[in-house]
Amino acid sequence: MINSRSAITFALIFLIPATLYTLVIVAYPLVDTVNLSFTNAGLPKSYHWVGWDNYAKIFNSSFAMVIGRTFLWTFCSVGLKMIIGTAGAVLLNAAVPGRTLFRVLTLPPWIIPMAIGIFMWGWLYNGQFGMISGVLQNVGVLHTPFAWLAYGWSAFWATILTDVWIGVPVVTIYLLAAIQAIPKDLYEAAWADGAGRWYRFRRITLPLMRPAALTMSMLSLIATFNSFDIIWILTQGGPNSQTTTMIIDTYKTAIGSYKYGEGAARAVLICIFLSLFCLFYFRAVNRLSKGDSR
Amino acid sequence: MTEITDRLQPAAPLVAAKRVAAEVPMIDRYKWFEKVGIYVGIAVFLFFVLAPFIEGFRVSLRPLDHLFSSPYVFWPDDASINAYFQMWQDVPLLGRYIFNSLFISLVITIVVLLLVVPAAYAFARFEFPGQGVLLGAFLAVNMVSGAVLLIPLYRLMRTLGLLNTYYSMIVPGVAFLIPTGIWLLRAYMMGIPRELDEAAWADGASRFYIFRRVILPLAMPGVMVVGLATFIGAYATQFIFALTFNSKSELMPLAVGLYSFFGKERVVWNELMAASFAGVLPVMIVFFFLQRYLVAGMTAGAIKQ
Amino acid sequence: MVALLGSTAIAFADDKPVSMIQCGDAIAETYPALITQWEAKNPGYKVNVEIVGWDQCQDKVTTLAAAGTPVALAYVGSRTLKQFADSDLIIPITFTDAEKAAYYPHILDTVTYNGQQWGIPTAFSTKAVFWNKDLFTKAGLDPNKPPTTWDELYADAKAIKDKTGIAGYGLPAKTMDNTMHQFLHFVYTNNGTVTDASGKVTLDSPENLAALEFYKKLVPVSEDGPSAYDQDDMIKIFSDGKVGIIEGGPWVRNQVPKTINWGVAALPVGPSAKGAGTLLITDSTAVFKGSGVEAQALDLAKLLTNPENQFAYEKTHGLTPVRPVAGVADLIKEDPTWKPFLDGIAFGGPEPLFKDYKGLQNSMITMVQSVVTGQAEPKDALTKAAGDIAQYE
Repeated sequence: MINSRSAITFALIFLIPATLYTLVIVAYPLVDTVNLSFTNAGLPKSYHWVGWDNYAKIFNSSFAMVIGRTFLWTFCSVGLKMIIGTAGAVLLNAAVPGRTLFRVLTLPPWIIPMAIGIFMWGWLYNGQFGMISGVLQNVGVLHTPFAWLAYGWSAFWATILTDVWIGVPVVTIYLLAAIQAIPKDLYEAAWADGAGRWYRFRRITLPLMRPAALTMSMLSLIATFNSFDIIWILTQGGPNSQTTTMIIDTYKTAIGSYKYGEGAARAVLICIFLSLFCLFYFRAVNRLSKGDSR
Repeated sequence: MTEITDRLQPAAPLVAAKRVAAEVPMIDRYKWFEKVGIYVGIAVFLFFVLAPFIEGFRVSLRPLDHLFSSPYVFWPDDASINAYFQMWQDVPLLGRYIFNSLFISLVITIVVLLLVVPAAYAFARFEFPGQGVLLGAFLAVNMVSGAVLLIPLYRLMRTLGLLNTYYSMIVPGVAFLIPTGIWLLRAYMMGIPRELDEAAWADGASRFYIFRRVILPLAMPGVMVVGLATFIGAYATQFIFALTFNSKSELMPLAVGLYSFFGKERVVWNELMAASFAGVLPVMIVFFFLQRYLVAGMTAGAIKQ
Repeated sequence: MVALLGSTAIAFADDKPVSMIQCGDAIAETYPALITQWEAKNPGYKVNVEIVGWDQCQDKVTTLAAAGTPVALAYVGSRTLKQFADSDLIIPITFTDAEKAAYYPHILDTVTYNGQQWGIPTAFSTKAVFWNKDLFTKAGLDPNKPPTTWDELYADAKAIKDKTGIAGYGLPAKTMDNTMHQFLHFVYTNNGTVTDASGKVTLDSPENLAALEFYKKLVPVSEDGPSAYDQDDMIKIFSDGKVGIIEGGPWVRNQVPKTINWGVAALPVGPSAKGAGTLLITDSTAVFKGSGVEAQALDLAKLLTNPENQFAYEKTHGLTPVRPVAGVADLIKEDPTWKPFLDGIAFGGPEPLFKDYKGLQNSMITMVQSVVTGQAEPKDALTKAAGDIAQYE
């Protein structure tokens, strides 16, 4: 039934609206971008073919550092998002009074325009006036104002924390939906057999959450890899380039200077990196879950 | 197990609370320390989520001159809600901006759902050549940063004659939210047991009937989640397209409109924060009401992964 | 105060639009009347003004021009003029000799490239030094004697830090353009330059090395964590009484509350200075090519920036005047705090005009940050930056 011709025709008909729409709106700009990556397009109206020059230029700079930093930043952020998101989903799933309100209260970081959320975090991090520095001084942990965004390592983690904050609601709500889709009788059967809460969580909840977690983590990886606004507004890639990820670097050296050709080459490179990475990630996790015996 | 629940059934009319307590399944009954643990956990979780808003709220209560002062005092002694009133005067189009944001996000969500639901179904239930590639291609759309595509997109919008209209923000918004929608909904649909499809097919139902009457109702919670995700995604990320493709103030969404609080010399932070809260509130109210349907739908069906 | 204005009058079917982008949150108070006046004199043309926020307006103007649909005229930072000119996106502005002479010295330098002017200076600012008189008194310094040389600046800042524990000097080192600006204060008050008249990069000079080394010297007596703060943050910290000396533009006077007893004076000069110097930054009105109404746009731009209208604009916005018109003397009489801002113009230097000005900013900011955080020695950082920026010209 699945592979019969009528089935395939049916499937294709269902696919056409979305595919056509995306093709028209996105395909042309994407193709244009790839095209531009081989030129020296910039502000001047005329530009010409430069072959692989733009790509070569990328590898001449300290790009290896930037790539490594991007992967580290992304891993830490997505890792934290998934852990906090899972914890949040489990907590919000609990049958306690007030859970509707709690679920609604999880949403604000997601709904608020990103720039505003980032500004608020910028205040929290401000050494002189910010809440974190201020409260820590009041409590006595700090003796002088500490500007969290002024030092390499603290800026690195500060930007990660803000990114996690913005991403946690999506992950939590989606994983919550996934947990709630797990049939209750599985739990009840295990409970009747004497299984405790932690055992039920480990052996029922986690494995059945896996497909949803895989999808969400991959989407999160892609979005986080290209995460731009947070770092840009908080530190602009500083101090001393300690928070410069690939997209920030792209913006600083190419897009910000209106060098569209170079910017396109970098964007294409980021896309290629991401695709390869997603492929490996997907395969690796799939292999892991196939090894599970149920 | 039936014995236990039988014993819990009230034999005679009791106080409402007791009845409610009796209807909670044993498995969901928590020992007191578990309950405390859960509440503490939720409190910590929500503190992390809402801490910046506490700060933002504090800022919205202070007069502008006193905003930047040290040492840090948690509750300012000069608190006033003046900003919440002043902001409507200082930025007259504020109400319009909020409306625009809601309107644009709603239209985007409807269009995305119309396109994504059939497509996700096709990916979830059928196999055809090139399926993996197409799925990957959709994902690739998400991988390229919007800033890079801006100028080609601008030219496209101009050719289509859509500049300076609501469409200029809706059309690109839809395109970039489709991939996420397809992936999320596909994963959800794959969890619906195939036996249901096959049973209906054996009974002679057409493919379309199966889709409409069998799968769609069961997939509703997933559709709602994806719809919500799309709505919020559209609400929060309208900025770059609105800024570049639209020049009419009356059509601007909130994300752009909030920058009206940035003057040449200084930013009216307190009103900016107040306006942001005003913008967030409608969406939270919507979610509050939709949330009930979400949960009801999800626990209604027996959906095995 | 903060009212948005779109296009106002009714457009007739055959009116050709002259589109203009202004930055900020509202159109300048003096402009609508002038626009109506211009439209009356030029029937068949309609001016459409779009207001875009400060952070985004430069990008929007450039994106539109790059996509082939430029606005007719726009408010742009003068630092962008060279890139626009090189990319053939704007038209050169012709000034008569009389018009040129009407400006303060050096102001037209900020819009000149290849011997031509490419924008009309519309907003101008210079910088001066502000000090907190009460903190001076507390530190045992004479509150009416501001630092006039670099050595005095260091001594005063050190006294404040040692005696009161409060940061003496406000050193901005955030990854923002005004980090570069603040450093240029020290370049131009020490007879240094970034490029010479022929366009050769002269950043690596003994004068500039002295400036960078002095920067390093200032770090221990400045606020903690300089890489987290920019000039705007400095104004806020100064208003909070938590820093003794800062450097800023005329707008600082309006932003600091009355509770702070402040004074303003010309920037302290370095050992090689020939006279009081400062940083000259202008924003210009540029006329774009390809709008179809270039001549009209130019005409409108000249009207908005003629001596009388320009001075009115400056007065409403609190900007440094670009021309020594008659009203300036009155301005100083009414408010003597204007004087330090005007004194430095003669020896002032412009924001360097580079084709890739973002690249220039990045290199200069990296240079300052590496020295301030102790990652690099001034000599090496300076040489590296000088080498880097040569490619951005």
